[in-house]
Amino acid sequence: MSLSREAIVEGLRGVVGPDAVITDERVLVESSVDNFRKLQNIFDVHTMPVPAAVALPKNAEQVAGILTWAAHNDVTVIPRTGGTATEGGLESAVPDSVIIDGSAMNQIVSVDPYNMQATVQCGVPLQALEDHVREHGLTTGHSPQSKPVAHLGGLVATRSIGQFSTLYGGIEDMVVGLEAVFPGGEICRIKNVPRRAAGPDIRHIVIGNEGALCFITEVTVKLFPYFPENNRFLGWTLKDMALGFEVLREVMVNGYKPSVARVYDPGDAGLHFSHFAAADDCVLLFMAEGAEGISKATADGIQAIVDKHPDCTQVPSEYIETWFNDLCWDASKITAEDERIRQTHNVNRTTEISADWSSINDIYQAAKARILDEIPDITMMGGHSSHSYINGTNMYFNYFFNVVGVGPEQETEKYYLPIISIICEETLKRGGSIVHHHGMGKARAPWVKDEYGSSYYMLETLKTAFDPKGIMNKGTIFPI
Amino acid sequence: MSAMRIAVGFKVTPDYDALRPADWARLAAADGDAERAEAVRYVRRVFGVFDEAALELALRLRDARAELGLETGLAAFTVGGPEAGPFLATLQALGFETARVDPGPAGEHGGLDFAPAATAALVAACAQRLGGDVLLLGTRCGPGESGVVPFLAAEVLATPCVTEVTALEPAGGERLRATFSADESPVRATVTPPCVLAVGNAVVSLLRVPTLKDRLAVREVPVAEYTPADLGVDLTGAPGHAAAPTPLEPVDRSRAGLVVPGATPVDKARALYEDHLGARLEHL
Repeated sequence: MSLSREAIVEGLRGVVGPDAVITDERVLVESSVDNFRKLQNIFDVHTMPVPAAVALPKNAEQVAGILTWAAHNDVTVIPRTGGTATEGGLESAVPDSVIIDGSAMNQIVSVDPYNMQATVQCGVPLQALEDHVREHGLTTGHSPQSKPVAHLGGLVATRSIGQFSTLYGGIEDMVVGLEAVFPGGEICRIKNVPRRAAGPDIRHIVIGNEGALCFITEVTVKLFPYFPENNRFLGWTLKDMALGFEVLREVMVNGYKPSVARVYDPGDAGLHFSHFAAADDCVLLFMAEGAEGISKATADGIQAIVDKHPDCTQVPSEYIETWFNDLCWDASKITAEDERIRQTHNVNRTTEISADWSSINDIYQAAKARILDEIPDITMMGGHSSHSYINGTNMYFNYFFNVVGVGPEQETEKYYLPIISIICEETLKRGGSIVHHHGMGKARAPWVKDEYGSSYYMLETLKTAFDPKGIMNKGTIFPI
Repeated sequence: MSAMRIAVGFKVTPDYDALRPADWARLAAADGDAERAEAVRYVRRVFGVFDEAALELALRLRDARAELGLETGLAAFTVGGPEAGPFLATLQALGFETARVDPGPAGEHGGLDFAPAATAALVAACAQRLGGDVLLLGTRCGPGESGVVPFLAAEVLATPCVTEVTALEPAGGERLRATFSADESPVRATVTPPCVLAVGNAVVSLLRVPTLKDRLAVREVPVAEYTPADLGVDLTGAPGHAAAPTPLEPVDRSRAGLVVPGATPVDKARALYEDHLGARLEHL
């Protein structure tokens, strides 16, 4: 028999103390969702089951206490820190779940400029860490658009990636070691070493687990020298996305690592670059950074590659620098966007996938064509590639639609999920991955077996081994 | 009863918030419209804030009149260069007839950024050409922000002018009910076209978004292009600048902050009180 909400609250108070258990209705409702229900949040419409409580543990031992108690009592728990997830991974899909909010674990434990690493608790905002290490002339190199708001625990749990990944890598390349707590109460610390071959790399069990296997309490990340004075910007307009992908490929295959390497299709380019790009122009742009010699060689090398393509027309670097200065979303921009949506009922959504160079343009063209054909009320359908590798790239589909004839609570059913479905189908058909960096959450969990194929056995075994009672974030990665 | 024609004048302006520090320095040192235009070349363009509200109010008025069985024709026009192209395309997709008045190079007439009288002459002439019964304008727009173009345009047109309009609705027949701000209180007045309405801090301030199908449907529809001569306006004899521009400074949006030292929350609270709050509380 499941515990009552009152019994859940009492149980939690026994573990973390009454001051660390929140039952305020407003907090519970807001903690039941993430940005997947963005439109509902803006209109204050809430349809998800309300959690029983939000617990604010202060240390790994308290997290272990909560998880042990929850496993014993079959209470679903949802790990949460900054709350910036976009795929429903933080939604309370079942009634009377408990949110474990790591925000109270917000200390920067150490910054080690000699060994180039920093250790932080899970509730440290990335911007806070970045600001702190900048005082040492260093950077984390991690810059997702949510940087001003996201916390390190969540960024590691979702296997996030930042806007400078082509140089610095994704979070999986940045994590040195970590501490995580498992549902049986085990507190596990993976030590900080540059590399080891002592069996499989178990960091990757934790990185990207989205709270479905464990709760991350502490992370150590690499640091990098910071040379903003050496940033170099390059940009071109061109008419053909296929050419844009080809140029990106040549840059990557030739070994260059610009921190930013993107190609925007005309729709997406129109949002940012209409002051210099024509309505049918794609925009190709790069930023080189690092020590002066590296930055110059990177920029010169990219210039030489693109110069071989006469269909690319170079634009003054100032256009790209101005765009770059405006990249991240702070609280004021989020508020302004919420107001825009509130007034216009025009919603912006994104879905990102990855594939090899041979497939990416076909996926982009096929998905875009189907969305334009099958989905009503589309006001913009486009996208850009923003994270490239020697063997492929991502496609960040960016789309807007007017919500017509339905309330906020039906927006996902009428528009968002059908679009996600089309993108996933076209990606899977061509061997790509249905999720590059936003995480599976609950939104893409229905495709998990298609995504993994025969390797689903490995993923499922991790789940049954680490979370035998299935209390960790029900519905995330593994559909209910 | 013939349809009411609403003409909305709008301006496309650089997004000054996106200027780099180097561009601000160039802007502050710029002499004349041409140098100012070069200094803001690299930032995106946006609708003037109040102009965008005026456009959306026009659409909502059309929709409200349609529910009453009343026809409304909409026209949107701008005085400016080709950078207004994407904005005109959006407005066409929303159902506006569109026009652009190209004032020509600033060198020929001294520029319009700080010449509200010349601007108003073009605005009034274009509104007349488009046959507007009601002329809607934003109450002011950068870089000049004189706030007098609506008044001057109304003088040229010899029509009444209502300013700081925040809402518009039908009021029977061809009359309109305008809500406007006066001494911080809202006032409602019934106005009969022809009239000039200057839109201020409207609650509804953002323009709706046309679908891609809406855009495709009007892709081939041309934008009417006029010169001052086409409209019978001679800018060479226009009054000089209403005021000499003063150097601009970027708004400092940095957030002041301080990390309060202390090993424990108790220590930090003590430091916060002793070092910062205590003295302030004594003044209260």
